[in-house]
Amino acid sequence: MQNKGAWKYEAIMAAVAVIFLTPIFFLLITAFKSEGEVLNLENIFPEEWTTSNFDQILGSAEEIPIWRWFMNSLFISSSITMLVLLVSSLSAYALVRLAPPGNRVLFSIIIGTMMVPGQILLVPMYLILNELGWIDTPMALIFPAGANAFGTFLLCQFFRGIPKDLEEAAHIDGCGLWGTYVHVILPLSKPVLATLGIFTFVGSWNDFISPLVFLDSLSQYTLPVGIALFQTSYYTQYGKTFAASLIATFPVIVAFLMFQKHIIKGVSLTGMKD
Amino acid sequence: MTSKKLSVTLSKYAFLAPYMLLFVAFVVAPLVYGFVLSFLRWESMSPLPPEFIGLENYAKALLEDEYFWRAMKATFIFTILSLPLTIVVAMGLALGLVSVKNRSGLYRAAVYFPTLVNVAVVGIIWRWFYSTEFGLFNYFLESPLAAFFGLGPLAWLTSVDTAMPSVVLMNLWWHVGAPAIILMAGLFQIPTQYYEAATIDGAGAWHRFWHITIPQLKPVLLFVIIMNIIRSFQVFGQTYILTPTGGPELTTRVIVQYIYETAFESYRMGYASAMSWILFAIIAVVSIIQFRAMRSN
Repeated sequence: MQNKGAWKYEAIMAAVAVIFLTPIFFLLITAFKSEGEVLNLENIFPEEWTTSNFDQILGSAEEIPIWRWFMNSLFISSSITMLVLLVSSLSAYALVRLAPPGNRVLFSIIIGTMMVPGQILLVPMYLILNELGWIDTPMALIFPAGANAFGTFLLCQFFRGIPKDLEEAAHIDGCGLWGTYVHVILPLSKPVLATLGIFTFVGSWNDFISPLVFLDSLSQYTLPVGIALFQTSYYTQYGKTFAASLIATFPVIVAFLMFQKHIIKGVSLTGMKD
Repeated sequence: MTSKKLSVTLSKYAFLAPYMLLFVAFVVAPLVYGFVLSFLRWESMSPLPPEFIGLENYAKALLEDEYFWRAMKATFIFTILSLPLTIVVAMGLALGLVSVKNRSGLYRAAVYFPTLVNVAVVGIIWRWFYSTEFGLFNYFLESPLAAFFGLGPLAWLTSVDTAMPSVVLMNLWWHVGAPAIILMAGLFQIPTQYYEAATIDGAGAWHRFWHITIPQLKPVLLFVIIMNIIRSFQVFGQTYILTPTGGPELTTRVIVQYIYETAFESYRMGYASAMSWILFAIIAVVSIIQFRAMRSN
């Protein structure tokens, strides 16, 4: 509206952005400070940029197998993302388009459980995973995550908006149910699948409570749990813990820079569901 | 039914099967199992077999266990402090984000980015901020400038009075982004004609905010409030990382942390399940209120 007003808002938001990014800024800076310099707050920037924190962490693979944790996290998050995309797109297609008998009841039950907080399932989940012999393996994290109702819900909402003519055309061309799913539904759903995929990946990368409870041994840990434990034993060695934290945050920073628009759009849509 | 028809129906269920299998194994089964467990005395490390004790676990939590109530109190204080703060700040950020003309994508990104950082990393950064000896916050509070304004160093996570507010402050920075973006999207939905008409009628900015923005935003605002309450009741990582032992006089040991300790440190599976179901009941009530309120809109 008025130009003067816009300038004021811009200044305020710029200040807000600085405040929000300050802790991240300190994470970046402190990781490159020597241990002696961390506690000297006179200088914001390190007098001497050093990678010694990284060298020490990456060099002591016995105590702090950070690459191992990184690979565990990467494997688990990628597996979860693929599993969620596969099973929830299949089920959403079946629920919305194939409509087998009982689909409405099933849909209501699935959506109803979205309200169930994961935390309350922790104890019985542990005992079930223990029976399956999956405790302290990646499977304990991967398969339960595939049961997440959010993906099915999101894709059901999206599939409802795909014009039916396209499927009918595919049907006339001799596509079966599977062919229609692969050649019509999936290609049309790329944007929503990307959004679901990014959210699932970041969500599982950052999951804290499940790996804390379901994993036991140092070599099986994911990054967040490994780093949390590492922090308790190297409590006052800020340089090292910050360097480890930066390694854990780096993939998230990259993913965010790449898919920023998708992520922000996905978040703004969560309030719009009716 | 002809065999052709039957095979088509079966193949439809085949699409559902993988998800339903996981759903039954990892949602339905733990729900039922957890409910059954809550009526058992079962110490998983003891040689005694599980024993059915009816409602004893529930009675113990609600009537006898002082620590259960202290954990509930900590959870409640977290919610009470964090809800109004989060909503007011998110609203302010949302208003700022819709008013900015240039580089709005950058500001949205800055506000939302902390949400994507892992709780362990967030905790490590903020533990350093809050450190009483070497911390960034006390470094500033010990400066002569702060003294001039009558400020001094704080005990942050080590004092009964400031421990929970410190957790709340970190949580605000970490999680205010999503409600801010959701409210921003809601603000964009309000037709601009409403504001134009009100301005012609001589309504000031404050008046427009209370009489157009708030009523128009009500469904989104309600959604954000309820989601915040539900999340607050389940708070765990934030308190666990900042205060692993429950904080001064257990003031930051929230209910999920107490459940976690009961199950995986004391191995009392039945009792932990009963407490989980009490928490579930509270969250269910809040969710039902949400559905009612949303439907009436």
